[in-house]
Amino acid sequence: MRRVATLTRALLAAAALALATLAGAQDVTAAPSVQIGSRAFDISRNLRCPVCTSESVADSSAEIAQQMRSLIQEKIDEGLSDAQIYAFFQARYGDWILLDPPKRGVHLLVWLLPVLVGATAIVVVVGMTRRWLAAAAKAEPANPADLERVRAALADAAANPDQRDTGDATGEDG
Amino acid sequence: MFDLELGPLGSASVFLAFGLAVYGAVAGIVGAARRDARLQTSARLAAVAGFILATAAVVVMQAALLTNDFSVTYVAGHSRIASPTWVKVVTMWAALEGSILLWSWLLTGYTALLAVTAPLSPLRPYAISIMQAVQVFFLGVLAFIANPFKVVPLPPLDGPGPNELLQNHWMMAVHPLLMYLGFVGLTVPFAYAMAALITRRPGTEWMAQTRRWTLTGWGFLSGAIVAGGWWSYEVLGWGGYWAWDPVENVSFMPWLTATAFIHSVQVQERRRMLKPWNVLLIVTTFSLSILGTFLTRSGVVSSVHAFGNGPVGPAFLVFFLLVTLTAFGLLALRWDDVRDRADLDSIVSREGSFLGVNILFVTLTAAVLLGTLFPLIVEAFTGDKVTVGAPFFDQTTLPLWLLVLALMGIGPLLPWRRAEQQRLARNLALLTGALVVSGALAWLLGVHKVYPALTVALAGYNLMSLYLLLSGALVPRLRLANRGALHVLRSYAVESRRRVGSMIVHFAVVIVAVGVAFSSGYRVDEQIRLDFGSSAEFSGYTLTAVDRFMERTPARISAGAVIEVTRGGRPVTTLRPRLNLFGEAGRTVPTPAVYYTATHDLYLNLNSSVGPDTTFVVLRVVKSPLVTWIWVGGAILLFGTAYSLGGGRRPATARAVAGEKPEGAPA
Amino acid sequence: MKLRRIALIAVVVAAIGALFAFGLLRGNPDDRNITSNLIGKPAPTFALPLYERYWPDYGETFSLQAHVGRPLVINFWASWCLPCYEEAPVLQQAWQTYGPQGVQFVGIQTQDRDKRDEGRTFIARFNLGFPNVLDNDSLVGVDWALYGVPETFFVDASGKVVAKHIGPVTAAVLDQQLGALLR
Repeated sequence: MRRVATLTRALLAAAALALATLAGAQDVTAAPSVQIGSRAFDISRNLRCPVCTSESVADSSAEIAQQMRSLIQEKIDEGLSDAQIYAFFQARYGDWILLDPPKRGVHLLVWLLPVLVGATAIVVVVGMTRRWLAAAAKAEPANPADLERVRAALADAAANPDQRDTGDATGEDG
Repeated sequence: MFDLELGPLGSASVFLAFGLAVYGAVAGIVGAARRDARLQTSARLAAVAGFILATAAVVVMQAALLTNDFSVTYVAGHSRIASPTWVKVVTMWAALEGSILLWSWLLTGYTALLAVTAPLSPLRPYAISIMQAVQVFFLGVLAFIANPFKVVPLPPLDGPGPNELLQNHWMMAVHPLLMYLGFVGLTVPFAYAMAALITRRPGTEWMAQTRRWTLTGWGFLSGAIVAGGWWSYEVLGWGGYWAWDPVENVSFMPWLTATAFIHSVQVQERRRMLKPWNVLLIVTTFSLSILGTFLTRSGVVSSVHAFGNGPVGPAFLVFFLLVTLTAFGLLALRWDDVRDRADLDSIVSREGSFLGVNILFVTLTAAVLLGTLFPLIVEAFTGDKVTVGAPFFDQTTLPLWLLVLALMGIGPLLPWRRAEQQRLARNLALLTGALVVSGALAWLLGVHKVYPALTVALAGYNLMSLYLLLSGALVPRLRLANRGALHVLRSYAVESRRRVGSMIVHFAVVIVAVGVAFSSGYRVDEQIRLDFGSSAEFSGYTLTAVDRFMERTPARISAGAVIEVTRGGRPVTTLRPRLNLFGEAGRTVPTPAVYYTATHDLYLNLNSSVGPDTTFVVLRVVKSPLVTWIWVGGAILLFGTAYSLGGGRRPATARAVAGEKPEGAPA
Repeated sequence: MKLRRIALIAVVVAAIGALFAFGLLRGNPDDRNITSNLIGKPAPTFALPLYERYWPDYGETFSLQAHVGRPLVINFWASWCLPCYEEAPVLQQAWQTYGPQGVQFVGIQTQDRDKRDEGRTFIARFNLGFPNVLDNDSLVGVDWALYGVPETFFVDASGKVVAKHIGPVTAAVLDQQLGALLR
């Protein structure tokens, strides 16, 4: 039993050594002392982790991200509003820190472009639809005898499906 | 006799496969142009031989990985003796060169399958040649730019092993495989669309012959996206599954356009409309899959998961531009053949709803594409660095998703041509009723956030829609058949696989939507400190840090905390969040522990180190409601896709009996 | 018509190609070469505990406020950061040149919580003569809008931040910036 305990301890020590030496290397960090609440995480989800590539402060395990979460919690405890906390970081890092691009300046463009694409798509489709609707209105109504012939042909085609080649008449919708 | 050296053997296979791809691409097109059947056959044989050689290359790579042959560059750079066998197998697609090998192999496999099974048609030789032309690119990159079989002059005794995050979860064996199967599957309709343009046959032939391939590719891509989300959830330690990271976005965009495509082709099948548009969609889907690889393998956009720089990025860029230019140029050349001469009776019809699908998915793709590329565009023009993050994508796409859900409910209920007023009014009344009732119910039950509440309302609306669809199909059959409901249901499910499959898929989408809405809208995050022996409260649970632990396998060291979870004094589960360390040179990877339930997940991640002197741990604790339903929905979606593909061709009698009429269509 | 369409497509594809070619040529996107918001603004002040070897000359705490009035070089580093090892001797060399001319250097160890032993080893290894402090909770780093380490700021005699250098600082950069500040 003793030997097992000693061995476990030795292994733990080896692991701790390995883990401890790596702990500073931006992966896993020593313990920040504060408890962090849900609101701090919600705020940090909208802030970019400065040392990471496209990760939020909430998502990153980098040390600076952990410290920033603690800092946000402290600001909350001091009674600051969400807007004030965003402003605190914005004053230092500029708009770059905001994952939610502000709706002004050059950022406005990124908000407008998808709207523009959507609007263009609608305009194009409406334009085409009008043309098609006009085409359908112009088309003469089929006379009953023709319709009967088409129906007969369709029934025939359905009964002998191997002969169809285009497949549109019998194609199932889904 | 002589030593079998794996490196040169693999290189030789790749080079020969490359040569065969070049031959097949040229011979197929020349053979088709000259109507030379022998040349066409030899191109098809080249496709089969190419697959055999690519398989040989994969076998050689696997042999090198499994026997720890560090004289092979890729093995030396990405494998490790101590890794378990499954990790070694998976290492083949854990890094750039290997994943291109996998992609090439699957591509040759699909091409060979096409060469053997595709029905004889004027399109076939061109389509196979285009597949082989795509092979030329991939195998060319493999042979000349990123050869994983290069020989290391002085082989190391051991390698660093694959990326820690990748060997930390078995899902890594599945996700890339599904994604490449998806991309490669969607190459087939692209090849046929090009063939249709070349041969001036832009009718429904090319889509009829690729319907199964398209749906298979779409299914694999959908599976890859869900699997990737689950991998993130289980590995990355922040309790989420989708971060709108550029790497995620670029695999998502082809899915968006492919989704638009599988809906839009039905308009062409039925009404001979949207011919150029459908070609455009499949070309865009294929281009986006190449563009995505370029963006993530070149470091042009920053991403957590980027594979790093190198000459492969520029090669993919050139190929992307070439594909785009050729495909769109060809479309312009053939414009007069492809142009629609369509007519539309009413916008309130099935075809009208598919036009809506196209608008929505194009806008979604544009939002994701522009958001992903915006920092690059701004930097190119002004030199400034700007950030576009997850909140942007959430805010722009959420309203669109709700519209997608709305359209998904009404669209399938609309008949082709035009809707009958009375029936439409009745259906709309029932749908609106379901919308209001489920929305109000959600509100009364405490769902007071806008998006989750709207999602619940739309979920109820969609369930009503599915009920109407099913009853619309079954009630007349019941009347006619004069047999038990179960029997009628079963025979309907067997006869109308495509329709039933689509209902299952739409049902799955509703489930995923609800899971996403609640897990993102009502998730609770906290960070708590726990001394060993002490407890803390979190969302109704009591977490007690009982002990620390350490495990050691040849491949890794793990250290973590044993956390007992109780609720109202009753034990619930024991969770072991940990840190994993793979090899001495590796980095530690926090590995979360998750308690899955149907209503919510409890997710623990270790935010502090653990050693023999540790007296406390810092835990990130997340409670996210209904998140499991995303994975369940993903599985149902795959089942639905498979269901609609299954069963082979329907017997002719079944088709005749089924009547082939959409519900409510004028007789 | 056909030609015009194809020309249009070619132009669009070329534009997309140009954008991505720019992306490729720009190099690593992780270069956080972002114009700092601090330039032209008063330097954020701080008071941080000094490492023991500087106590005789500077006391136990280094307060930036007390040193305003002289050109300042503020260097952020961490014990795990490889480029920091590259620039430390350069900084020590410059300190020996510019210190006597009235420039104050200060090193701030940041994003390196509780790594005091590693900090001492780092300082001893390069025998850093200028004062070094530990920013244990990295808050000073946030005040200075740090993106990573190493980063170096130059502050003029009036206490305004005039320049920021990202990545390991070189003798040429130091000569240029300090030459301008001392003129």
